[in-house]
Amino acid sequence: MNHRGGWALIKNTWQSWLQHRGFFFLLAFGWMLPLLVYMLVWSAAAGEGSLEGFSQETLAGYYLILILSNQLTYPITNWTVGDNIRIGQISRWLIQPMSPLYHALSAEIAGKVVFMVFSIPVTGLLALLIHPTVDINITNVILFLPALLFAWVLRFFWGYWLALLAFWATRADSLLALQDTFIFLLGGHLAPIHLLPDWLQPIARLLPFRYMSAFPVEILTGQVTGQETLLGFIALTIWLTLAILLYRFVWQRGIRHYEAVGG
Amino acid sequence: MNKPIIQVQHLTKTYRVPEKLPGLGASVRSLFKPQYRDVEAVRDISFEVHSGEMVGLIGPNGAGKTTTLKMLSGLLYPTSGQATVAGFTPWERHTNYLRRISMVMGNRSAMNWDIPPMDSFRVLSQIYRVPEKTYLHILDELIALMDMEALMKKPVRNLSLGERMKCELVAGLLYQPDILFLDEPTLGLDVAMQRRIRQFLKSYNTDHAVTVILTSHYMADVTALCPRVMLIHHGRLVFDGKLQSLAEKLAPFKLIKLQFSTPVIDFENYLQQFPDVESLPRQDEHYSLRVARSEVAKVTAQLLSQLPIADLSVEDPPIEAVIDQIYEVGSV
Repeated sequence: MNHRGGWALIKNTWQSWLQHRGFFFLLAFGWMLPLLVYMLVWSAAAGEGSLEGFSQETLAGYYLILILSNQLTYPITNWTVGDNIRIGQISRWLIQPMSPLYHALSAEIAGKVVFMVFSIPVTGLLALLIHPTVDINITNVILFLPALLFAWVLRFFWGYWLALLAFWATRADSLLALQDTFIFLLGGHLAPIHLLPDWLQPIARLLPFRYMSAFPVEILTGQVTGQETLLGFIALTIWLTLAILLYRFVWQRGIRHYEAVGG
Repeated sequence: MNKPIIQVQHLTKTYRVPEKLPGLGASVRSLFKPQYRDVEAVRDISFEVHSGEMVGLIGPNGAGKTTTLKMLSGLLYPTSGQATVAGFTPWERHTNYLRRISMVMGNRSAMNWDIPPMDSFRVLSQIYRVPEKTYLHILDELIALMDMEALMKKPVRNLSLGERMKCELVAGLLYQPDILFLDEPTLGLDVAMQRRIRQFLKSYNTDHAVTVILTSHYMADVTALCPRVMLIHHGRLVFDGKLQSLAEKLAPFKLIKLQFSTPVIDFENYLQQFPDVESLPRQDEHYSLRVARSEVAKVTAQLLSQLPIADLSVEDPPIEAVIDQIYEVGSV
């Protein structure tokens, strides 16, 4: 482990990214839009009444928190892993006495800060305009934080091992697009899990995508019971363990296959 | 002599390269039935390098020089063969190994382009765990040697190619590695900058006794820096020894250049008596003779005693010509 180098990298990435903050702010804005659209769609569907227990106000609360949690868990660096392998850029990381994982993680951590600089004020402003209702209590907040952290780690490693397939197939990033689509459908973006068709809900609760995105928001907004929370954490832990094992497996084999093109 | 720091035995690397005929039809076919071809980039190479040596790895484009360096720096797994560098197997990429080596690539940057070099250097010093005091001391020394004080605060993307290369070298030396793999360190630089980098490498090698393997297409780099050269051609090591003996082996002749004080009539006829002398095209009053090494002393003495010589010099053929000959023929 080389935390000293990792911390130096994070600071460096901040400086580097802040040079392009306009780009990252636009990216963050782009990620918000579909969620805002679905918030409006479901609000219209709920009308003045309620939809499976959701009112306009609780839907607004769910989606505004989801906007932030989605950006905090979105592993933006996974998109560049494949490129770095394909054009041989990871060569320079491989010859450093530090796991190349640090480069991805430092960009992740640096990125979250840059995105939040934009997204927190914007969602704050939206909250003032649309008056969401969120029933927050201290237990939910305490459970929300580890759920959010694990969601990010799961989403990151799941995307990372997919991206590492670039060692064999040079355009593995299409798998990342597929992962995003599944999160959109089954991770609480298109609709809160409770609003999905009955036959789809157990599938969504079984697959990893809910735990990458909606699960922490469901906890914070009080949509899940104590038992559901416990089961959720168990599923999350299993998927997380599997993601890390897959990452290690693919990395160790991929690195032998690496061709270090260029230069 | 001390134990070699680099030992390479029968190192071989074969790449599997996808192959496709031009055109859309072939692209579609390759989608269902991809074709591959094995390319032997490095074939059965063995050599040893001792601590403090500076070795030039030369050969035409695609000869396998960079692939060899990539295996030695741990970037590539070989297809077969062994290598031990400083007691480690490079491709295991042990942290303690990576801390001791540096790979500087002329066409690949180790710097972050968005921020000034100073910031990248600091991150590298943290990654390599260089103590703060040592770091500042080394940095001062390198900046002075490279004369690059003025570059330190500009973002890397605003630097010229030569300035960036200086930064790459500093980045590669900050943690005082024992072994340097330099891949085309003077690529694309102007003559003055090439000379500066060469002088720097030479004095750095003298002061720090680092072991260096350098690849370059500029023979001036190799003649200035490397007493020993290894020549790779089509993945095979075809020569390993002193640069001078490569020239002797390949060009078993020298050039005698002369000028007369008064014109000599029928000089070509006069030369007929020497079977091992060949007259090269004359430039104005300057004559050039290609003479077998063994005959040089005798021919020179006779010319000096029998003809009105104003000026005479004996030279080795230019090394570029020698190397070019191997690249063409493919063997030594």
